[in-house]
Amino acid sequence: MRRFLQRHVSQVALSPSLALIAIFLYGFIAYTAAVSTTNSKAFPRFDSFVGLEQYWRLFHTPRWHVAFTNMFLFGGLFLLVTISLGLVIAILIDQRIRAESFFRSIVMYPMAMSFVVTGIIWQWLLNPTLGIEVMVHQLGFTSFRLDWLTNPDTVIWALVVAAFWQGCGLVMALFLAGLRGIDEDIWKAAAVDGIPAWRVYVYIVIPMLAPVFLTVVVLLSLSIVRAFDLVVALTNGGPGVSSDLPSVFMFDMAFRRTNLGLSAASAVVMLGTVLAILIPYLYVETRERA
Amino acid sequence: MIDIRISNCNKSYGSLRVLKDINLEIERGEFIVLLGPSGCGKSTLLHIVAGLDRLSSGEIEIGGRDVTDVEPKDRDIAMVFQSYALYPTMSVRSNMEFGLRMRGKPLSEIRPLVEEKARMLHIDHLLDRRPSQLSGGQRQRVAIGRALVRDPKVFLFDEPLSNLDAKLRASMRTEIKKLHLTLGTTAIYVTHDQLEAMTLATRMVVMKAGEIQQVGKPEEVYHRPVNLFVADFLGNPGMNFMKGHLRIDGGHVVADVGAATIPLDGYAFATPPADGQAVVVGLRPESVQPATGGEAFVLTLKPTLTEHTGSDNLVVLAMGGEEIVGKFPTETLPKLGEPVTVSFDLGRLSVFDAETERRI
Ligand SMILES: Nc1ncnc2c1ncn2[C@@H]1O[C@H](COP(=O)(O)OP(=O)(O)O)[C@@H](O)[C@H]1O
Ligand SMILES: [Mg+2]
Repeated sequence: MRRFLQRHVSQVALSPSLALIAIFLYGFIAYTAAVSTTNSKAFPRFDSFVGLEQYWRLFHTPRWHVAFTNMFLFGGLFLLVTISLGLVIAILIDQRIRAESFFRSIVMYPMAMSFVVTGIIWQWLLNPTLGIEVMVHQLGFTSFRLDWLTNPDTVIWALVVAAFWQGCGLVMALFLAGLRGIDEDIWKAAAVDGIPAWRVYVYIVIPMLAPVFLTVVVLLSLSIVRAFDLVVALTNGGPGVSSDLPSVFMFDMAFRRTNLGLSAASAVVMLGTVLAILIPYLYVETRERA
Repeated sequence: MIDIRISNCNKSYGSLRVLKDINLEIERGEFIVLLGPSGCGKSTLLHIVAGLDRLSSGEIEIGGRDVTDVEPKDRDIAMVFQSYALYPTMSVRSNMEFGLRMRGKPLSEIRPLVEEKARMLHIDHLLDRRPSQLSGGQRQRVAIGRALVRDPKVFLFDEPLSNLDAKLRASMRTEIKKLHLTLGTTAIYVTHDQLEAMTLATRMVVMKAGEIQQVGKPEEVYHRPVNLFVADFLGNPGMNFMKGHLRIDGGHVVADVGAATIPLDGYAFATPPADGQAVVVGLRPESVQPATGGEAFVLTLKPTLTEHTGSDNLVVLAMGGEEIVGKFPTETLPKLGEPVTVSFDLGRLSVFDAETERRI
């Protein structure tokens, strides 16, 4: 017994947390998957097995289609805006400007706030009777209109701007760290070769940041799938259901519409989406290490 | 013809003076080696010649043109770095082509040029690889190739061999030497390795704490160091130093160094010697040899330690309270404790003032 303990002390020490992970993570994933095959309403009931009917229903619910499409629309725009602007800001800060830490703090500050606070701040800023629109009117441009929050066609931009404002700092910090990690001599060699700075960025430095891009895309993608609090605080899915995301749909079905089976099915589809992002990433990462 | 002129060059980082009033003239075709301990400002001086660092004051001329305020790309120079500094996202071929393409040279002219230089450096079979797929030695060849294709007026090398293992370093050293003999391009080469400096330089510049100590041909700097620092920095094992005083005795100058009195009749004093002057007499280990009879100056000393290096025997000899090292041929291996008679090659002596540490 003692020999066994001596030899396996690390496994023994880790086993309680492994057991907890097994139960609360994988156990409940399995439980959710099981619920998604039942006709559960307010409470899980396993005597009402319906097979894959909930999935069939899910994909015939117009609101789910809006939510699922929104996730890709919001996600695509958010990734594009945050990565490109985050990279541009990182490059600007990398020019050894004066008061660098001041600018860095400004960009990083929103990270310290929860999505709920971010949502409320932008709800005020985008409110036509309180925020930016009123400010611009006071400057004399009375024809200016900013109705993102009330227009179903543009409400997605409100989400993108708020999420960008929050996520930009992290992206900038990751890119800046990557830029600072690049060998100074490469810049010197390029200067001697007569390569203009923008070409060094485009042809040499940005391609060298490929691993950072991968990390950023994965981090942001996961935050897109998880996005819930921001939507609830900023638009609450409205106007109508035009800014719904799968997470909001899932919450609504489970706790307001008492349709646990359908909610569980949507949760499983979301898990599938996350895995579709993560598995290729892990594959590339582990192959690079090997 | 002067190719590079560095005049009254100073460089400070804040209150730290990294280069102090450097003056240097380099003839076309010379291979100048900047030698000195780490942190003495060699790289800074090279960067200033390249235009990668700004001068605090002074002037730089290349090819008769004042380039003090000229961008690196317009100075007609090429540089090789210790870290190779290859562009990791490009193939070897693109690395070598990129600089010329930026200068608007047509690809039809660049291609054959790159292939010719690649053959010259034996990297023609690697042209389509990425730098990450090459060994250290191959990477440095590519870096040299990238500099060669530019066909610059001046080559600048910043410790290009320091990241390579000893054997590779030696073979790359000879190759760089051959390249210089073939091309005859002016070069400035920074190193802290005295062997590289001695073998490559047509003239070497020894630096210490931002100041030039001595400029000269390698054998001149080696045999006639201008001060104790240079004497001590060069040579392996280092020069023997014997502290003592000068004595002028009926027109003859001798140095009393404790256990011995060394005659200095044949010594070419740079400044007139004074009676009683405190001096340090320096003699390189290879000038301390077993006596064979007939030498002008011999001493009998006790060996305290012997070391084989393969090519010689290093013999540590007790001399008064101090020790000196002799570099003996391998066939002569004295027994410890049994006195041996050694001769000093008086023609190779260096005498320094003990106070100013300068050669007298
Ligand atoms: N950018 C810099 N800022 C401040 N000090 C520097 C900078 N670059 C070099 N130095 C200092 O200048 C001195 C000389 O550096 P360097 O020329 O790199 O020495 P070497 O190449 O001879 O080893 C060192 O003391 C170094 O710390
Ligand atoms: Mg250096």
